[in-house]
Order: sequence, then structure tokens, then C-alpha cells
Amino acid sequence: MTWWQPLIAAGAVPGSGRKTDEVEKGELADLVEGTELETHAVPDRGVARIPPVVSFLNGIERWNVVAYDGVTPIVNAAVAAAVRRRDGTGVLRTTFERSRAFAIAPLERMSPATRQALEQAAPDIEPVDADLVEQPARYVEMIEATVRRIRARLERELAEAAIDALGPEEWLVSDGLLSRSPAVARHPRAIGVIKSHGAQFLEGRGLERALTLPAGYRTSVFAVRGGHTRTEVYSWYLRLRPWEGNDLLYGLLRIEARAHPDTVARAAELSGWLWAERAPLATPAARWDRLLYPLHHVEEYLKARLAS
Amino acid sequence: MNAIGRVVATELKPATPHQFHFWTATDTEIGIGAIVKVDVGAQHAAPLPGKIVYGVVTEGFAYSDLATPLHEVIGAEGDPTRDDPPTARQQIRYWTAAVLRQTPEEPLQPVPLGQVYLADDADVAQALRMDAFLYSAAPTAIPVGLYTSAGRDAPVYLDADFLLGPEAAHLNISGVSGLATKTSAVEFLLASIFAHFPAHKGRVAAVCFNVKGPDLCFLDQPGELSDEDRRRYERLRIPAEPFQRVQLYAPYKSDGVNLNTLRTHADLVADVEPLTWGLQEVVDYAEVLLNRDDIDAKADAFIDFLRDRVLGKNFDDGFGTTHRVQTFADLDRLFRSIFDGLEITAGGRSDTWRTHHIATMRKVRNRLLNISTRCKGLVTDDGPASDLPWTAFADRTVYVIDIANVDPLGQDLVFARVVSKLREQLERRALGVDAVIVFVDELNKYAPGDGPETYVKKMLLDISERGRYLGLVLFGAEQFRSQVHRRVVGNAGTQLFGRMDMDELATPGYQVLSPATKSKLATLPIGELMIRHPHFTQPIFVRFPKPPVLRGRDGVERFPPAEDVPFDDAVVRQLVRLDRRVRPNQVKDLIADREPDDVRRALATVRRTRPDDVFAYFRKVLGARVTPDAGMPREHHTVPPLNPISDEPY
Repeated sequence: MTWWQPLIAAGAVPGSGRKTDEVEKGELADLVEGTELETHAVPDRGVARIPPVVSFLNGIERWNVVAYDGVTPIVNAAVAAAVRRRDGTGVLRTTFERSRAFAIAPLERMSPATRQALEQAAPDIEPVDADLVEQPARYVEMIEATVRRIRARLERELAEAAIDALGPEEWLVSDGLLSRSPAVARHPRAIGVIKSHGAQFLEGRGLERALTLPAGYRTSVFAVRGGHTRTEVYSWYLRLRPWEGNDLLYGLLRIEARAHPDTVARAAELSGWLWAERAPLATPAARWDRLLYPLHHVEEYLKARLAS
Repeated sequence: MNAIGRVVATELKPATPHQFHFWTATDTEIGIGAIVKVDVGAQHAAPLPGKIVYGVVTEGFAYSDLATPLHEVIGAEGDPTRDDPPTARQQIRYWTAAVLRQTPEEPLQPVPLGQVYLADDADVAQALRMDAFLYSAAPTAIPVGLYTSAGRDAPVYLDADFLLGPEAAHLNISGVSGLATKTSAVEFLLASIFAHFPAHKGRVAAVCFNVKGPDLCFLDQPGELSDEDRRRYERLRIPAEPFQRVQLYAPYKSDGVNLNTLRTHADLVADVEPLTWGLQEVVDYAEVLLNRDDIDAKADAFIDFLRDRVLGKNFDDGFGTTHRVQTFADLDRLFRSIFDGLEITAGGRSDTWRTHHIATMRKVRNRLLNISTRCKGLVTDDGPASDLPWTAFADRTVYVIDIANVDPLGQDLVFARVVSKLREQLERRALGVDAVIVFVDELNKYAPGDGPETYVKKMLLDISERGRYLGLVLFGAEQFRSQVHRRVVGNAGTQLFGRMDMDELATPGYQVLSPATKSKLATLPIGELMIRHPHFTQPIFVRFPKPPVLRGRDGVERFPPAEDVPFDDAVVRQLVRLDRRVRPNQVKDLIADREPDDVRRALATVRRTRPDDVFAYFRKVLGARVTPDAGMPREHHTVPPLNPISDEPY
């Protein structure tokens, strides 16, 4: 017998897991559905209405150091994003796709000969600040943030193009924050699916209810303030798979939709739809417990395209 | 032309000079056996040299991105009745193709990555290397069926030089009974050969042994064809009509007057020629009649002696009697005279005659005379022969020999003699045609891989190994190819496979086929065949139309066999067939109270002579009626007891 078994016998829930999502800044949210954050059962598949046509947007990034000019790392990077449209047959086909392959280098820090060679050989160079070159760990973090920012910009541009092309009944499901683009964040048929929960918008009893949501339940809708780069959106948590025996974030999604009363009215319906999207399983992706298969599919598509 | 797929090659599954892999859309129309083309030149501009690779699909795979079946269970939460998920898993249709041909052929390299196209008519001709004999100045192409895939079809041709000699020859067809359409395939192919056999190769005929029921009895009668069958005949440029020239031979039944065939309907029986042989025809093939224990040098020597010194000659037996042995009856008289002579004249002290031991002579006598009993109807005791036209075979004519109801020994005899005569006449260039196709069904019985070395098996081996130089071509069929003598099937240049038994497909001879090809063979529908031919580097599947002839069992329904008629009616029928002026009552009066053997003998003579006035000649041959005088005592020879040496059971 282990020392924690008596705890479970006393009412604690079994758990597992170690690393959790990286901490992000989040402002406390205002509840827009009810007066207290509550849990609601989502409609079953038989009741949920799945839109006949849905477009899914996802993006990927890759980078690696390919050379050093002295101690200055020269990075080869690539980002790509795609929108794949699912019709009534359940098959996904690409409607939008964009990629960028580029070099990242602190040009002003490079030796003239190497810089000249780089500028002649690489058609696309993203210059970065040279201040952190002598601190390799921070420089790498800066590179990572740069690539992520470029990818986010690519996804935003693609999302904006995609919503312009949406049919009257068609939805756009985006992997990640919806609030990056005001146009997308205000669209009536666009939702964002967030898998990382580094930012917390709830506290106290509400937070506990959100983190211990049973599978097949959602929380009440709350408003997420946008900050200076983001547009306000409505959001709620949805649990796809039982967390008991795993960690608190297992199978947990946060959904973002436009800040509009209609979102509150349709939260149950949208949750039922997304609950039905938990099959097929997005294995072998690492976070398959909270990754919707179509978004995984777009990611695999982009990986294959970037490799070919 | 739109591409249907793309070649893919990985380290684990690379493309090689003889095999490549490609993927297609999931709703593709291609399947196992489809012929495809990889055209690299179509994608690259000059100066890259164009390369075209033709292949035939031999294996297919489908899989999704599902890592393990357990994930499917988890996704469905253990409930197989759940609705399909909203997104279809990514899946692949992945095909393996065996290379049929690369152009240019040199340098021979792995198949390049490129787009894959469905083959059209011209591609099929290229892929199967048919262009050499299809478009040459002297074409030798024989249509064998239609390659069909993805809603299109293309004729497939065999090279007559490799089907009927001299480059290669012989055809073997295997498949389970009833579903493999072996007989239908051969009938169709004969029609195709007769329609397309090139003029510069001369004249061709076919000899078919009917060994099962009415299978080949109605080749001259039209069968029912569907519109699709007719379209296929048109596509293959073969007339959709029964054989114009068919000659059917059948022995008599034991009564010596009713034909031993199922084609005895009144409307058709007139076209059936009797097949009867006498001593002269049989003795040359005496080896067929002797079983393994009998074959010894002494018996052989004595048979040779009879053949060379006795048959058809005036022969003094050494005991004062001169014989002219032409029939079994004459032979029996000679034997009796010899045995009597040894017993009486030599006083039983000698047991040899002309260096031949009496036991050997008794054994040979019993075997030879026994054949006229066992094969009564085929072998006449003392009548003349009615035989195939050994010097006047007609071009594009099918000679059917119906031995379905003949004693197995008689079947062996017929087979051995017919094939030997064909070979003999072809060697002399005196048969009337330049090539003869011999169709033999049931090779499992006649040329088994194991078992005794029978005369028939030796004959089949001889045709297989030497027939192509003569124009003697064997079309053999069997259920289990693995159990036919290796040299018989191995020498068949062209091999056809209908639906096969899975157990048979598990034998080593089919190891070269992919599991998918084997599965297709095991479920092949009627009318579809897999072909191997010297020009085709891989097996090819084709469809052929139903033969334009009446199937045996349909023929029996449409033309029910007539009941056996009484002896006198049968005699009348045969005479009327020769001369319509013959009046039945006259014949019946004439043969009343006459010995049936005398009547049969007279009838055979008439049939052989074919006189202008049949009845008059028949009456003359039959001779005047002799009333036995009951008052005269008949001479009776007491046969002394046999020499003690005759303890042996002969």
C-alpha cells in the first residue's frame, strides 16, 4: 500500500501528471451567463447539431540553428498555416494555405563577409535584435518568440481570409486564441479552441468548478477581456475526457467565440458539437486528449507539406 | 489523360526495376490486375529523357492514420453502434505494381517517381509487348479476351508463333470444376484462332476429345449470347457464331448399331460419324492395352512378330494351315490353330512355337481378344474400320471424338492412336492441315504428376516436348495444375487460370503470385481468366465472351438424346442415311433371322464402300440366306487337356 491510497480512500481523486502548461498572464473574467460559474451537461451527439460545413485552421512552426558566425547563431525557420474545409462527407480539403521559409539573424552583429553571403543566399531574412547574442539561453527564447509571432501573424491573416470566404452556414474553427484578430473575434461563426491553460481567468469556487469539470460538461460563459492587442471574446471551458486519474487539465478545452448574447444562447449547442468532435482520436499527437482530430489533421497536412 | 496516382518510394518500400508503389484517391476505380503507366517524360521538359514504365497492379493496401485499433475503441467509447465521427480519418489507397515493360528498355533502372495513369488500348499493347506481333508486316495476333479496368477495356492478344508454334506452343488451363469455365475458354479460343490464324501460317484444325457428358457435342449449334457478349465479340473481331465445320465421331454401343454419344437426337445424329476400329488399327497400339505387369520383352517380341509377319499377309502356321489375319476373328482362328497344333501335332511335348513360349502367346491372345469385348462398339470383332480422314483434314474444322462413355481402356486406345496418327501424318505433311490443336480435358487423369508411366502419359509428354516443331499443339485442361506432370504443364507456353481452389493456390507453383492475386484467382467470376504468355512478363487478367456455341447441357435439353432403337431400326437408319431411297421394310425383311454379326459386318462394308445403290450392295455383301440343316451332325473337335505349363491363369 502506498501512502496516498488512504487519501483516495478518504475522498481525494486519483491523479497523475507532472509538467503543466506554461504560465501566462490572464485577467479575471466577468461572468456573462448566470450569476455564479456553474457546470452544465452538454447535449449528447444525437441532439447536438454539427454544422454541415466547417473549416479548420491550424499552423506549425519549425526552426533550428544552422550556422554560427562567431557566437552568433544563424537560424533557419519555417512557418505554415492552412485552412481545410470539411464537407458533408467528413473529408477535409485545403482551401487556404500559406507558408514562409526564412532565415533569422542579427545582421548588424554579423561579419561583413558572412552577412553578404547570407543576404545573397537567403531570399527571406528576418532581422532580430543583437542584444541577446551573448546570452545564448535568452537569445534562443527570443528566436522562439519571434518564430511564434510570425506564425501567429500568418494564422491571423489566413483566418481573416477564411472568414471572408465562409458560406452562410459555414463555421471556422481555429486552433488557439480567437481574439488575436478583431475581425475574426467578432465573426458570428468563428470559434477558437484553446488547449493550453497557462492563463487563468477564474478564481475561487469558480476556478475549482472549472478545473474539476466532469467529462461532457461545460462551464458557464464568461467574458475574456482583450488587453491592448486582443479583442474581447466570450469563453467557457469544456471537458472532453474524464480527468480523474490524470491531471486537472486533461481533456480540458477553453472555447472562445464572439462577445455577443447569441454566444451565450448557443453555448450549449456549440459545446455539443465540439463534444462530438472528440472522435476520431487525434493520436499519436502528444496532447490528443484535448486536440480535435480535424485540427490535428491540418497540422499533419502542414508537416507533410513542409517536409516535401 | 488524367493521372490517377503518384509513385511513392520509401527506404522500406523502394521502387525497383521490377516493382513500384503508388497511391491513388480512395474512390479510385482501379483494382488488382489493372494495367497502369508511369510517364515521367510527360512531367519534365527536355532535355530530361522521357521514360515510360508500364505495370500491372499486384497488391493493394488501405490504411488510416490510426496508430492502434485501441484508439478507435477509445474514440467510440467502446460502443461500436455510435454514429460515424464527423471527420473521416485520413486514409490511403496504396498499390504495388509489377513492371511489365520500361521504355526505353536500357538502361534498366528503378521506376522513377512520377504520376500514374490508366493504360489505354495502345498502352496495353505496349505494356504486354504485343506491338511486335500485332503491328508487324505479318501479324500473328490471336485475341484471347479483353483486359478491363475502370470502365474501359482493351483487347489482349496471344502470339500465334508462341501459341501454336514454332517458337513455343501448347496451352494449359487450370481451375475448379464448374466455375473456371475451362471448356468455354477453349471453345472461345478455338473460335478466335479459326478467325485470326494468319494466312501465312497455313491451315489449322482442332481435335477435341469429349470425355465428359455432352460437353463438346454441340459445337455447331448456336448458343445464347448476351448483348455484352456480342459487344465483346465485336471488339475482338471474332464472329459470334458457332463453328462452321464440325465433325463428330463416336463409337457404337455394344450392340454395334446405336451410337455411343449424347448427340443422338433425330435432327443431329446424321452428322455423327461412327468410330470403329479393327485389329489392324488396334494392334499397333497394343502397348496401350497391356498393363505394367504385361509389358515384357517376350510379349513385345511376339506382338512385333504378329505385326510384321502375320497381319494382312498369307501366313503358314507350320501345322498345315495358311492364314490371312485381318480381323480379331482371323487372329483367334490362328491362335486356336497354333495351340491345337502344339497339343495335337507335337503331342504336347513342345511348349514353344517359332521361339515364342506358349504362355506368352496365351497372354497376348487374351489381351488382344479381350479388347474387342471390353471396347465393343469401338473395336469391332471382325468388321472394317470407320476412321478419321487422316489425309484430308479440313482447314478450320473441329473434329470431336466423343469417348465420354467408352471404357477407360478404350479411351486410352483412342487417345493414343489418334495422337499418334496425327503426329505421323504431320511429320509426313500429309494430314491436310499445317497445325492441329488437340484438346484434352482431365489432364489430372491422363498425365498425373505421380502414378505409373502409362502410354497415354508418354504420348502427352511427347506432344508437349516435340509437338511444336510438327504443328501438333496440346490444349490441356485440369482442375489441379500442381498434380499434372511437370513437363506437360511446364512446356505449355501459354497458361490460363480460371477460378482456383485455395488449397491448390497454396502449393509451391503459385508462390510467385501475390496474396492479392491469389485472392482474386480464388474468387474469379465466370468468364474471367488469368493469362501467362511468353510475351507478358506478368500474369494478366482478361474477360472473354461466352462461347458462341450451345453448351453441352443446354444441347441435351434442346436436342434430347434419342432412345436406343431396335437392331433392325438402327440398321435401317444407317442405310437410309447413306441412301434416302432405301425402303425400311425391305431392309428389315432382308436382315430378319440373320446373325447380327453378319449384318454389322455387311453394314460396315457398305459404310466404307459408299456404293451408289446402297440397298443392292448391302444385300450382296450380306449374301444369301443359309438355313442351317439340323439333320447334319456338326464336326466336333475334342480339345485335349492343356500342357501342364498352362497352369498360369491366362
